[in-house]
Amino acid sequence: MAKLTLTVNGQARIVNVDPDTPLLWVLRDELSLTGTKYGCGEGQCGACTVHVDGAAIRSCVTPVSSVARQKVTTIEGLSPDGRHPVQRAWIEEDVPQCGYCQPGQIMTAASLLAFRSKPTDAEIDDAMSGNICRCGTYPRIRKAIHRAAGLAARKK
Amino acid sequence: MSALSAIDRRTFLKIGATAAGGLLVSFSWPARGENAGVAIGAFVEIEPDGSVTIFSPRPEIGEGVKTSLALLIAEELAVDWKTVRVRQPDRLDPKYLDQFTGGSGGVRDSWGDLRKAGAAARAVLVAAAAERWGVPASECRAEAGAVLHPASGRRLGYSGLVKRASALELPKEPALQDPKEFRHVGKPTPTVDLAEIVTGRIAYGLDVRLPGMLHAVIERSPTFGGKVARFDASHALAVPGVKKVVELPADRFALKSGRPIMVANGVAVVATSTWAAMKGRRALDVHWDAGAGAAESSRTLRDRLEQLASGKPGEVLRNDGDVDAALASAAKTLEAVYEVPFVEASPMEPCNCTALYRDGVCEIWAPTQNPYDARSFAGTAAGLPQESWKKSVVVNMLRPGGGFGRRLDNDYVAEAAYLAKEVPGAPIQVVWTRGDELRHSLYRSTGYHRLRAGLDASGMPIAWSHHLANPSRYRYTHGESPPHDSEIMPDDFPAQLIPNFRVAWSEAESAVPRGYYRSMMPGANLFALECFLDEIAHAGRKDPLALRLALLGQPRALKYSGYGGPVFDTGRLRRVLELAAEKGDWGKPVAKGRARGIAGGFVFGSYVAAVAEVSAPRGGEVRVHRIVEAADCGTVVNPQGVAKQIEGGAIDGMNLALKLEITIDKGAVVQKSFAEYPLTRMREAPQIETHVVQSNEAPSGIGEIAVPPAIGAIVNAVSAAAGKRLRKLPIRLA
Repeated sequence: MAKLTLTVNGQARIVNVDPDTPLLWVLRDELSLTGTKYGCGEGQCGACTVHVDGAAIRSCVTPVSSVARQKVTTIEGLSPDGRHPVQRAWIEEDVPQCGYCQPGQIMTAASLLAFRSKPTDAEIDDAMSGNICRCGTYPRIRKAIHRAAGLAARKK
Repeated sequence: MSALSAIDRRTFLKIGATAAGGLLVSFSWPARGENAGVAIGAFVEIEPDGSVTIFSPRPEIGEGVKTSLALLIAEELAVDWKTVRVRQPDRLDPKYLDQFTGGSGGVRDSWGDLRKAGAAARAVLVAAAAERWGVPASECRAEAGAVLHPASGRRLGYSGLVKRASALELPKEPALQDPKEFRHVGKPTPTVDLAEIVTGRIAYGLDVRLPGMLHAVIERSPTFGGKVARFDASHALAVPGVKKVVELPADRFALKSGRPIMVANGVAVVATSTWAAMKGRRALDVHWDAGAGAAESSRTLRDRLEQLASGKPGEVLRNDGDVDAALASAAKTLEAVYEVPFVEASPMEPCNCTALYRDGVCEIWAPTQNPYDARSFAGTAAGLPQESWKKSVVVNMLRPGGGFGRRLDNDYVAEAAYLAKEVPGAPIQVVWTRGDELRHSLYRSTGYHRLRAGLDASGMPIAWSHHLANPSRYRYTHGESPPHDSEIMPDDFPAQLIPNFRVAWSEAESAVPRGYYRSMMPGANLFALECFLDEIAHAGRKDPLALRLALLGQPRALKYSGYGGPVFDTGRLRRVLELAAEKGDWGKPVAKGRARGIAGGFVFGSYVAAVAEVSAPRGGEVRVHRIVEAADCGTVVNPQGVAKQIEGGAIDGMNLALKLEITIDKGAVVQKSFAEYPLTRMREAPQIETHVVQSNEAPSGIGEIAVPPAIGAIVNAVSAAAGKRLRKLPIRLA
């Protein structure tokens, strides 16, 4: 076991865990940040996506010790009021069905928009194809990403 | 599924006061199954401060039922939707009959009852206002949370009426709103809970966090029916955080009915964190006796199915006219074999359940579609006497991260309840890995369909023979319904429309546990029927749409004895086929390298058709460019909800047509991860359009209906594009 100091959603958090523990389980079991989801544990479905220094990563295959010096952002910390353009767009397009994969989809989409303010459909395909939605909300996710790009542009 | 609909629906409305002196409208009814006696359920609460709470009783698994059921009540209650708080019961409680989601029955089965609850509440509010004003109730009407007396221009909000209303007698048969006056029903309404979902605040089963909670994972027998020979837990126990290693016996989980709960024999590792439990599991040394199931592989089972389907049928379920004579005299005959594999539902949230056993009470927190069974399974696994379950088993219901049929079975609940009793006093959360989910699940059954048809000189089919061989879900669960009922429906189109028509079924044994998958039997069988019809059309030089329309003929009601019946209306199927064809550009020129396919069907009481446009380059991969679906599901409560279900269902049709297959090797599932069980992803998602027929008929199924026609349309399109007939799911070009 090792004592690690993490920066999660802007706060310093001290955890005492096995250093090879995936970030996912530290978030969920140690910090009770359950918005980040377990879907496969192998980096194949994207339900566990969080930001590390702004980049979308799969927390289920990221050892916690490897992110101890970086800034971790989870769905709970994406915006202070749940009004991030991606979250607003998700509501306006009524994207979710069961909703379980959506925190991961939203984190991936938010990261895409941070790097590409006006993504093309091909760029959306590339960025989002690591995130499975079992309910098949893909057409609405695509619309919501385009909408979020518009919302973000208006804000600037 | 027929057993699920056999519920006594005589209901009686009750009135009462809320704790704060408001109005509470509830039902009493002869309760379901074992819950003898009369239960009372609350559906509408209006508090003196004017706040309105509507209880939407059925579990939300992503199908939108929480929204649509509440809309029904809000409509009749005449309240502003924006002011309504929608809640779901936190616990299994007989007063909320029916806390069940499955068979696309949510809106269909609750439509009458919930409208009545809302209408009765409105009636007493109107009566209270009329009494206050000294005018006849017939001169008053309700609107947006208030009662109006148009003649005098007076208006009273519900908040000022609830106290008096709660003392009045509810009408037995309250007048329902005229559908022409609907303000909510039929209007696109966004899903409730969106803000909680997009912020990650909404709690799913796996998000339960309790003080002192332990975590467990289970190493299960790799083969179906295998047993632990011996195991060494010492290395697992040496992993920091691991508290206990417990064997899960398989044979003790049988309900009193004799119905088995499929819980694999396994070894559970209990730890202070999920990761410690997973590490402990990897350190286990377990030796297995493979058992009799190890003799089964996909190849051996397929050989057996082929043999059965080639021989004398086990059961003839329909035999119109003289099929053999008509085949012998036909101008042309066709024979084809269609095959579907085992598939696993794989919701995004893996199976999980949290349980606490303390002082003779087992409390569970379960993401389930079927909480009644969850209680039985938990009570049985915890060794509690059935008479005590009402008190000794507490079922807390959590939102499931998808269902797709997987959460109708509660095997994972039994595991958690058993382990909780082994670690009394500590809540224990059992989680399955994705590999567990794929390898130890209950699977939609495989099937081998032998189809034969005889055509007359004009190309119309005059004889049809369908022989399905497969293992039965109902046999597996020891249900009351006959085993063929879960596998084949002898009234399915084009039955009754071809004079000589035979439907037969032969039962195969298998060690593979059989469960559910969204759209179930139609998802497996309509593929075979709709693709064989396509072959008949080509053989008879007819357009596939024209052939279907010619078979359907004039609109009329045919008998349909299966789920979704009792009536199959040929005109309604005709209309959705025509609508899908029109919107999907059927018969119009198509881009080079592409082709279209069409399919339709009667699914869970609804009529649905699809046109798919695909390309299938030689040596390349199938690409689905566009799916257009048309549906007639009766009165539409929430068009936006219907559109979402059809979009998702079309993509699930792609999963089944192109991707998913569970294969068995020596009694064990081969697929272990999403890499080998590849669900459709964003870059493959086609353009999807939905067109819904306006209808005043009672609502029928929605959640599963889009899947079967999507499969048929895709496979027919791919067969056309590739220039060769594909008859085995998932289809492969090579």
